[in-house]
Amino acid sequence: MTRAALLAAALGLVAGAARAQTPADLIGRGVRAYQNLDYDSAAAFLARALAKPDSALGDSDRVRGLVYLGASDLYRDKRDSAAAAFARLLRLDPRYHIDQLVFPPEITGLFQQVRLVTRAVAVVVPPAVELRGAGDALPISLYATTFHPVEVAVLKPDGSSLRTLYQGGVGDSLVVHWDGRAADGSPPDSGSYVLQVVSRGSDGRVVRTVSLPLEVARVRRDTLPWPAPVADSLLLPEQAPGRSGMRALGAGFATVLAIAVLPSLVASSASASANRFVVAGGISIAAILGFRGERRPQPIDANIAANRALQDTWQRQADSVHAVNVTRGREVRLRIRTGAAQVTEGP
Amino acid sequence: MTRLAAPLVLLLLAARPAAAQLPRYVGVDVGVSSASFQSTAPGGGEKLSGFAGVGHWRIVLRPVSIDVAYTQGRLSADTGSAVPRALVDGSVFATYRPVPWLALKAGPHVRAFAATGGTERWMLWEGRAHADAPLLDGEWQAYGELWVALASSVNVTPGSGGARGAEAGLTLKLPQSPVWARLAYAVDQMRLRNDARTESLQSVALTFGFGGR
Repeated sequence: MTRAALLAAALGLVAGAARAQTPADLIGRGVRAYQNLDYDSAAAFLARALAKPDSALGDSDRVRGLVYLGASDLYRDKRDSAAAAFARLLRLDPRYHIDQLVFPPEITGLFQQVRLVTRAVAVVVPPAVELRGAGDALPISLYATTFHPVEVAVLKPDGSSLRTLYQGGVGDSLVVHWDGRAADGSPPDSGSYVLQVVSRGSDGRVVRTVSLPLEVARVRRDTLPWPAPVADSLLLPEQAPGRSGMRALGAGFATVLAIAVLPSLVASSASASANRFVVAGGISIAAILGFRGERRPQPIDANIAANRALQDTWQRQADSVHAVNVTRGREVRLRIRTGAAQVTEGP
Repeated sequence: MTRLAAPLVLLLLAARPAAAQLPRYVGVDVGVSSASFQSTAPGGGEKLSGFAGVGHWRIVLRPVSIDVAYTQGRLSADTGSAVPRALVDGSVFATYRPVPWLALKAGPHVRAFAATGGTERWMLWEGRAHADAPLLDGEWQAYGELWVALASSVNVTPGSGGARGAEAGLTLKLPQSPVWARLAYAVDQMRLRNDARTESLQSVALTFGFGGR
């Protein structure tokens, strides 16, 4: 009776002091009490600290408190409470392994027993990834407490499945890749999606669900700039001013005159054939057309060819840029940002 | 004979370097000619006319080219009682162009008038000067040609007294096309010795040609 009163008084003092302390301080006091073999005090300090809201205690302190609470409870002959503390620890951090140098075999043995029956998966995903093409994927690392079946899927905003990535067992760890495509192979629209990892029990029921929000954004590659058009200063004049046309008229006139006088010059003894004026008429018409043609601006073939070469070069560059831009327009890049995981226990 | 041999040697000398070269251009003209023949003699004369077929083949071996021409037709009397006769005219010329607009030609020219009473044959060795004048962009050209017989013979007494002639015309060629048309007027006169008789032939020919490299 006296001992109980003393204990109660001590706990009251401790509690009074603890009220003024932070949860982390309580964890530290509980650990020291455990190390002093004062398991009751340790359990009291640790239970009080762990009862605080999640926001008041960091995950590392919470994990530390749980492992010492489980060990303290086991030494207080509260095996079920110890197992519950270890199970809670494993659900909080499925990757946790108890330090066999710190805790004796009976503690580590119970921890391993609890690990075998606690089904949980830690999901590790990069906070941001850009998928640029074939071969790129979002790596999803799974760390399981024990072997159990899991389902990994990406869900649409309405909760329906976009793509099931994995269905099967996970022992220690597994890396699943998502190539950023839906089940039909098409890239998803920009939006909010959910990466869901479901752990199932031996009876097939859902025992734990980890959900990570995925913000998916389609990113288009920048297009190449259009090549600058050929500057006017580089183009050569394609036409020369028209000539006077007198050359054609002169040549035509001289030929017509020759036809008129040739019979008298060459064959003076014969009567001249009037048919020759058909030829003279044809030459006259051709000379007039030549006169008009020469007065028109004359194309400069060399300059036309040089300008065409410049234009063709520009056109080839433009076609190349167009082809690249069309290809880039068809390419869909995905930028994926991952949010904080949310864990739901039970179905 | 010596007078005939000299031009032949010149022709062969001109053709020898050309033979070592590959053809650069080959062209063929064919067409029809309206021919008018008139002979004048102290005792009278005769006039005949008719149509003839014209063929002209050219192979260019720079800087020399070879021109072969052939004309055959039939002439009928325009006045009087002239005997109808066949006209056969052929020539082979070696052509040299010292400048693009001028061509100098030399070669044999044979002309025959075949009638029921006999055949009159002229054999001429000619020298020709041919000038081209462009009318439009080098595709339409007017041309003129003068020639003179360097040596001549005929199988009619008292023999040949000389010959000369001229030709003028128009060549129309479409740009970038291997086809052309040619309209030409030609006149020549051949004289027997002592002006015993003169014979002149005038013709207007329309031909179409095709050529390529």
